[in-house]
Amino acid sequence: MSHHESVVVVGAGLAGMKASLMLAHAGKKVHLVETLPIIGGATIKNEESFPNLECSTCLVAPIQQEVLQSPDIETMTLSAVEKIEGDKGNFTVTVRKAARYVKIADCIGCGMCYEPCPVSVANEWEENLGERKAIYVPCAGSLPNVPAVDKEHCLKLSGKQECNACVEACMFGAVDLDDKDETVNIEAGAVIVATGSGMFDASSLPNLGYGKFPGVYTPFEFERLFASNGPTLGEITIRDTGKVPAKIAIIHCVGRKEQGYCSGVCCMYSFKFAHFLKKKLPEASVYNLHSDICVPDKSYQKFFDGVKGTHTEMLYNSSMEDLKVSSNGAGLKVVYLDEAGAEREIDVDMVILSVAMVPDEGALGLAEALGIERDARGFFKVLDEGIVSVESSREGIFIAGTAEGPKDSQSSVIQAEAAVGQVLAFLESCRPEAAEALAEDLKA
Amino acid sequence: MKAKIGIYVCECGPNIGETIDIPRVLETIPALEGYEDVELVPKSFGLLCSPAGKEYLAKEITDNGFTHLVVAACSPRDHNSTFIGVCKEAGLNPYLYKIINIREHCGWIIHDKEAATDKAIQYIRSGISRVLYQSELFERQLEITPDVLVIGGGIAGMEAALSLASHDRKVYLAEKTGELGGKAARFASLLPRQGRGADVIREKIKAVEENEHIRVHLNTELESSIGFLGNFEVVLAGNGDDEKTDLKVGAIIIATGYRMSDPGSFTGYEYADTDEVYSSLEIERMNGGEGIALRSGAKPASVALIHCVGRQEKGYCSRICCNYMMKIAGYFKKQSGATKVTEFFFDMCLPHKADQEFFDHSVGLGIDFKRVKEIGLSGTSVEFAETGGGKQKMDFDMVVLASAMEPSEDTEALAGLLEIDLDERGFFKEAHQTTDPVATSIDGIFVVGASQGPRGVSDSMLLAQATAGRIRCQLKPGGKIVPEVKVSEIMEAYCTGCRTCLEVCGYGAIYFDDQKGISIVNEAVCRGCGNCFGSCPSGALRTKHFTNKQLYREVTEALK
Repeated sequence: MSHHESVVVVGAGLAGMKASLMLAHAGKKVHLVETLPIIGGATIKNEESFPNLECSTCLVAPIQQEVLQSPDIETMTLSAVEKIEGDKGNFTVTVRKAARYVKIADCIGCGMCYEPCPVSVANEWEENLGERKAIYVPCAGSLPNVPAVDKEHCLKLSGKQECNACVEACMFGAVDLDDKDETVNIEAGAVIVATGSGMFDASSLPNLGYGKFPGVYTPFEFERLFASNGPTLGEITIRDTGKVPAKIAIIHCVGRKEQGYCSGVCCMYSFKFAHFLKKKLPEASVYNLHSDICVPDKSYQKFFDGVKGTHTEMLYNSSMEDLKVSSNGAGLKVVYLDEAGAEREIDVDMVILSVAMVPDEGALGLAEALGIERDARGFFKVLDEGIVSVESSREGIFIAGTAEGPKDSQSSVIQAEAAVGQVLAFLESCRPEAAEALAEDLKA
Repeated sequence: MKAKIGIYVCECGPNIGETIDIPRVLETIPALEGYEDVELVPKSFGLLCSPAGKEYLAKEITDNGFTHLVVAACSPRDHNSTFIGVCKEAGLNPYLYKIINIREHCGWIIHDKEAATDKAIQYIRSGISRVLYQSELFERQLEITPDVLVIGGGIAGMEAALSLASHDRKVYLAEKTGELGGKAARFASLLPRQGRGADVIREKIKAVEENEHIRVHLNTELESSIGFLGNFEVVLAGNGDDEKTDLKVGAIIIATGYRMSDPGSFTGYEYADTDEVYSSLEIERMNGGEGIALRSGAKPASVALIHCVGRQEKGYCSRICCNYMMKIAGYFKKQSGATKVTEFFFDMCLPHKADQEFFDHSVGLGIDFKRVKEIGLSGTSVEFAETGGGKQKMDFDMVVLASAMEPSEDTEALAGLLEIDLDERGFFKEAHQTTDPVATSIDGIFVVGASQGPRGVSDSMLLAQATAGRIRCQLKPGGKIVPEVKVSEIMEAYCTGCRTCLEVCGYGAIYFDDQKGISIVNEAVCRGCGNCFGSCPSGALRTKHFTNKQLYREVTEALK
C-alpha cells in the first residue's frame, strides 16, 4: 500500500477514534497509536456526559467496538511514537510498542487471571482511589477487554520472585510472560495528533488543601467516585474515613489565573457534579463557588438553569487567591471573599476543585518526536490559530481535540472531522495524478 | 429443500463450558418437538471466536451445506460481527444466521447449572425458530454523485465550498442576496487573535469567485429537494426572476447563518429609533463606513457597551458576544483614545484559549469593565447594580447592545422543505449533539456555521471543514454507497392510505403517492427504525429482518 493510503492517528480518545473511523470509511489504512492498554480516552472516565446526561459508555462503547472491529484500523495499545522521518506525504513513523504479555487474539476477557495474582497496587486509571493487580484491566468495561501485565510490579517480570499464577490460571494460554517490546516502522502519508489534555495540578496551590485533606478531590477523582464501575461502585464516600458527605463545595476556576485562560468546560462539569450529588445524596447541600459562568453552547444555559438553586447554591467567589480550604476538626472549612469582598466561611465535608485543562504531560516529548511546535500555553500549535486550522507547524501533521486547547466533546469531534477532511485533501494533493490534474486544470 | 440448521455452542473456556451442561444441550436439540421437518445439527467447540474456531465454523458451514446457522455463545456486542464475517466467508447469507447469548444471559447469571442449561436450551430453541423464518437480504450498491449544494454564501458556506470543490467534485453555492460574504463581510476587523482580520473574508470571496469548480447562484433560493445521500434532485429558483435550475447533488450543506434578535424587544431595553442606542451590527456598519458617530454627526465621548441582551429570554448564551464587544470597544478607542468606554457584563465568557489574552489587552486599553447583576436602560442612561454593590446610574452619549443571536428568518421554511428537525431554540438540530454535530436527522444533509447555533467566524469555518471531512468520506468521486438493508417495506394491497406512518417517520423516508392513495417507502432513505411498522394500523408495513412472524416465533418459543 502506498504511503498516501495510510494515516497514523496518535491518541485513541473520542477525537482520535472518530478520526480513525472516518478515515477507514474513506478507504484509508489507519494505525491508531495509544499509550494506555485501553482505548476510549477521558470520556469513558465519566459516568454521564453533559449536557444531556447521556451515559458516556453508551456514547463511546459503540465507537470503541467499531474501531476494534474495523479491518482497516490497526489499534496499537501501550504504544508511543518515538520519531518521524521523511516529509510531505511520505513519512516513516517509528512506534515503540510495549509488551502486553497477553495475546489479544487468544484472550476472551474472562478475567480468571486477576484473582490469583498476589500483587496489589494503586490503580492510576482510577485516580489511585482503588487497587488493581499486576495483571489487570483498568476498570470493568475496558476495551479491548484484554488485560495487560504491569512489568514494574509483576513479581516474575520485575525479577522479585518466581510466580506463574496468571499463566496457570488462563485456560486459553493467552498470558505470555516472554512477550517482548517491539519497534515498528509505519509508512504513512499523514499524521493526526489527538492525544488529549491533562489536568492542572491542584497541589501546586497549597491554599486549597489538595493532597493534604482527604476530603479534597479533583474532577476525575470525583467522576470515578461517582461511576458505577469505579472503585466504590458509585458510592460517594470520602477516602480514608468512608464518610458520606452532607455538604460539598465545588470550587470553579482552579488554575485559570496560573494558566492564563478559561477552559470553557469546567462550569458545565461543575453543574453536572451538582446534579450527580443531588441524584445520589438528595439531602446533601451543594455549593458552587464561582466567578464568571461560562456556558458557551446553545444548550448549556438550560442545563445551568436546571441546577441553579435546586441542586446547588451559587456563591460568588471574588478572589481565588484569597480562598482557603482548611480543617475544622470534623471536616473542612472554606473561607472566601464574596461579591462585596467580605470574608465568608462555609463548613463542608467535601471539596471538589474544578481545575483547568492543561497540556498533556506527554505533549513536550511528542512535539519533539514529531518535530511540531507548541503554543505559549504548551498545547500543540496550529497555523493561523485565530482563524481556523487543524494544521500543525509541520506539513502533513494535523491536530484535533483537546491536544490543541481546552474544549468540550462536541468541539473535539468537530475538530476531528475537520482534520480528516484536511488529511484527505492533503493526501489527494500528494498523489502523482493530482499534479497532472492540476496541470490540466491550469491548461483549461 | 429441507432446512438444515447448524447449531454451534461455544464453550468459551469455563464461561459456558463449566456453567452450562453442553452435552445435555447437544442431546436435547435434535429431539425438539415441532422441528421434525428440519435437520438440526448441534455441535460444540472450544472457542469459536478464535482464529481456529472461525476457520472450523466456516468449514462446517461449507461441508454440511447448512441453510441456516445458530451460534450459541456470548453477547452479540462482542462477536456478532465476527460470525457475520464467518458466514460471508463461507458463502452463507448472514441474514440466515443468529447469535444467541447463553453466556451473559444464562451461564454468568444463573448459578444453578441445571437451571442455566434449561434456559440456554430455551433460548437456542427460540433462535432456531426465528432463524427458520429469516430471509436472505442483499446489500445493494448505489451510484452517487459527489457534487454538493451549499445554501448560503456567508463565511461558513464559502469555506465549505472551497474545502470541497475540486476537479472531480462540483459545488453549487446558492446565495439569497446579491453578494457573497454574509454578515461578516461588513466587519472592519475580526477578533485580534484572528490575525488576518477582515481580509480573510475578502480572500474567501475572491477564491470562491475564481474557483472554476464552484458555481455561484446569487439571488437564488432552494425551491424543492427530493432524494437521499448521494442522490438528491434539487431545484433552485431565482428570487428576482423566474429562472429555475435543476441540479443533481450528493449532499446538501445548510449555511444560512443567523440574525441578530432585535435588542429593543427585550424587557428593560425598549428604546426609540431616535435614541442614541445601537445594535452591534449597526456599529460594525458605521465603523466600516464614515466612522462611528451620533445622529448629529459628532463622535461620542462616552459609550456604554451592554452584554447579554436577551440571554435570559432566549435561554442561551450566544458564545461570541463578550469577544466581539471587546472588539467594538477597540473600534471606539482606535477612533479616539479619549473616548470613555464602559462595558457592562454579567459573566465574561472567554471559552477559547486565546480569549483571556484579549480581555487582558482590552483592560490595558483603558476600557472600564463593570460586572453587573442587574441593568436597565432609559434613553442613553444606564441604571445598574454591580455584583456586591447597590443601584447606580450613569449617563452616556451612546449605548451599544449585544443582543442574542437567533436563527435566520428562513430557517423554519428550509427545515420544512428538507424535512429536517429544528431544536427547541429554532436552530437546526444536530444528528447527535456530541458525537455527530454537523449531520442532521437526514443522511446527506449537513448544517454548518451559525445556523446550527451561535458561532463566530472561526467556529463557523471549522464546522464547514468538518462537514467537508464528512462528505469526503461518504461521497468519493466514482464511489458508491451501500444503503441499510434492514429497511421497511410496504405491502401495497394492505395500505389504507391513513398516513400514520408519515407522521412517525423521523427520516423523511416515506412519502404519499397521491395517485395510488398509499404510502411508499424510499428504501434508500429508510434506516429501519421500525416506527412505521409499529404504528401501521392495517399491518401493511413490515421491517425486513424484524417481521411480525420472525418476532412472534422468537418470542413464543422463548416463553414456552
